[in-house]
Amino acid sequence: MKKLLTSILSLGVAASAALAAEPLITAAKVANVNDASVWEKAKFETVTLYPQTAIEFNDKKANELTAKAKAKKAQVAAVHDGKNIALMVKWADKTKDVQGIKCSDTYSDGFAVQFAAATKKPQPLPYIGMGSEGRPVIVHLQKATSKVYEPNGNKDVGMQINRQQTGVFGKELADFDAKVAALANTDFERVFVAEGFRSLTEIKDKSVQSNASMTYVPGGWNGSLVRPLKDQYVNLGGTVPVSIAVWDGTNMGRNGLKNLSSWVAINLEGQKPNAAMVAELTTDAKGDAAKGKEAAMTNGCNGCHQLEATDAKSFMGPALHNAGGYSTAAYLRESILKPSAVVVPGYNRNAHANTPWYNIEKGKRVSTMTDFSFLDKETVDNIVAYLKTLKAEAE
Amino acid sequence: MDLNKCIGCQTCTVACKTQWTNRNGREYMYWNNVETYPGTGYPKNWMELGGGFDAAGDLQPGVIPNLEADYGVPWDYNYESLMGGQADSNTFHPHVSPTWGPNWDEDEGAGMFPQDNYFFYLPRICNHCTNPGCLSACPRDAIFKREEDGVVLVDLDRCQGYRYCIAGCPYKKIYFNPKISKSEKCILCFPRVEQGLPPACAQQCVGRIRFVGFLDDEESQVHKLVHKYKVALGLRSDYGTQPNVYYIPPTESPAKFDAEGKIIEGSTRLPIEELEKLFGPAVHDAIKTLKAEMKKRKETGVSELMDLLIAYQHSDMFRLDNNYYQQVAKENKRNPLAPVDTRYIAGKFTTKGHTQTLFGGHTAGGHH
Repeated sequence: MKKLLTSILSLGVAASAALAAEPLITAAKVANVNDASVWEKAKFETVTLYPQTAIEFNDKKANELTAKAKAKKAQVAAVHDGKNIALMVKWADKTKDVQGIKCSDTYSDGFAVQFAAATKKPQPLPYIGMGSEGRPVIVHLQKATSKVYEPNGNKDVGMQINRQQTGVFGKELADFDAKVAALANTDFERVFVAEGFRSLTEIKDKSVQSNASMTYVPGGWNGSLVRPLKDQYVNLGGTVPVSIAVWDGTNMGRNGLKNLSSWVAINLEGQKPNAAMVAELTTDAKGDAAKGKEAAMTNGCNGCHQLEATDAKSFMGPALHNAGGYSTAAYLRESILKPSAVVVPGYNRNAHANTPWYNIEKGKRVSTMTDFSFLDKETVDNIVAYLKTLKAEAE
Repeated sequence: MDLNKCIGCQTCTVACKTQWTNRNGREYMYWNNVETYPGTGYPKNWMELGGGFDAAGDLQPGVIPNLEADYGVPWDYNYESLMGGQADSNTFHPHVSPTWGPNWDEDEGAGMFPQDNYFFYLPRICNHCTNPGCLSACPRDAIFKREEDGVVLVDLDRCQGYRYCIAGCPYKKIYFNPKISKSEKCILCFPRVEQGLPPACAQQCVGRIRFVGFLDDEESQVHKLVHKYKVALGLRSDYGTQPNVYYIPPTESPAKFDAEGKIIEGSTRLPIEELEKLFGPAVHDAIKTLKAEMKKRKETGVSELMDLLIAYQHSDMFRLDNNYYQQVAKENKRNPLAPVDTRYIAGKFTTKGHTQTLFGGHTAGGHH
């Protein structure tokens, strides 16, 4: 009986894993990526975006809203013209959320595209959540906001006072209002460079020539991004790994409260693809997931990690119930064998002082996780295959 | 903050507002507010909005207050039409219909008038906690506690407006600025403190309830009140953030009246349970000490604690240290600015040689 049950279980696991293989996107070569008509012919692939659940944030309402968050499906296409790459991301969102300037607890819809700075070797790619030490990423973020007024950006201190305190009336006051409105920045587009979440740094020196935009169409958003294939941060060619994230303001989405994809491969038409990268990102993990689950239990993974969505929460290690969705097999394997290679940002140590998931040794974060490099290859393969099954269903 | 002396005049609130929060998306914020206790407080029912730490030291989830329902949208009037002479009593009106705001329930308190009603004023600023909930909640390391004096500040360059800090602060003393989409909070007037001047709220306090100094400076008033006499206690220290604003609990409250309107001898309107809720079990000893010192002062005319609390001179309430900050600036190769006003400077780093002659030969600086 037990044997039968196991085989049924592994069948089920195999079936779901087969469905989940990430697509390969081909970026057609076009004359000009800024020409809107290129999207009519572009081939869209379905990319699944999983709820980020590695750590739970301390926002009670948001946690209630996202407690049963499901994966989202986005339609993604890319084109390039030899100089620039353009991406179009379409995703469903029933409500258009634009963070207003008159509210303290509303949030915007938004999307982001993440590029790895080094793209030659598929193993290891940077950690999916804002990269990792020594493996930088560039993140393009676009949020749907109403006018954003950042007076300090341009040293326009004189425009910082309230209209009622200007001491002027009538036409002079109207002139003042017009000046303030002209200073308002209407576009919340940001570019970051990061080597791990806490190092996220906005690039403000205009050294990245990119343009992102979001358009609401009935039932969802179309987000587009154009950026150079080469600049001081990235050198994209052949096969480009990207990761996509979307935020839903209705669910109070911001920073980690988002849905994100694993690394997805984009082949640039007319260039030699990176076969190793394509293989890494589009084939399923080898291994027996059912045996992997058993091995995970025997090795006590659940002592510190929440594995299944129904398991108890832990402040010790990152929750893994969506790790199979947004992590590559190589990353999962590395985390088992070399836990300190990437220390997931996690909680501020001050927030959960009794469950420190890393220590700082010589200025570097060292994971408190046991090194499991003593496990044989087959067991590790099985555990990775099991972890790859841990993910939320799609909406 | 001596709650026996606070008269709820809001001068501190106005001092802070005009200095920092009357513009640029901060209009609804009160880095300093004075609320009536018992009452809803500001923002509404802040004590029930979560944040802080449990006994195990785990940060607790919290709720981010809503501008309209919990803070209140600041309203303004159509002064323009008044100035233009078009306004009469019908046309002079607020630009939004006010539904809630700070001090909406001012002076209401609890109990039944006239038998046993009571309230007192509770001035609140950021507690500049030793274990700040806001700092612990920030996933971007955008909040830091200054090494030189413990002032908790938001790094506005790093802040991305996620607002977990607001959920994490049990006092709800950090606010979201919707205009710049970043969090902002009381900065303890650090530009003033660095010049040896008390924060604006303390400087302007007409009731002389606010003492400012370094807790580890044994000569300071705050050290004496907190550590020597132990009469100043943290607000809701059960939240586990180790707040650094200390309150002298209200010790004096009138007796209750009976049904005939006669004084019930020996009764007191202010329930000790309320004070225990706010200031913890140590409030009993604090009140005991305060009453004993009051008695001693009445009988003998001598009490260091009472003299301290009376604060005969404004300058007797503050012990800051401009030279200390100048030294910090020097060590860190920052730009040390000249002090503007040296009246309150009496710290261990400040020497007599630092005093300067101001208007009309009046000597300032040093301890008066």
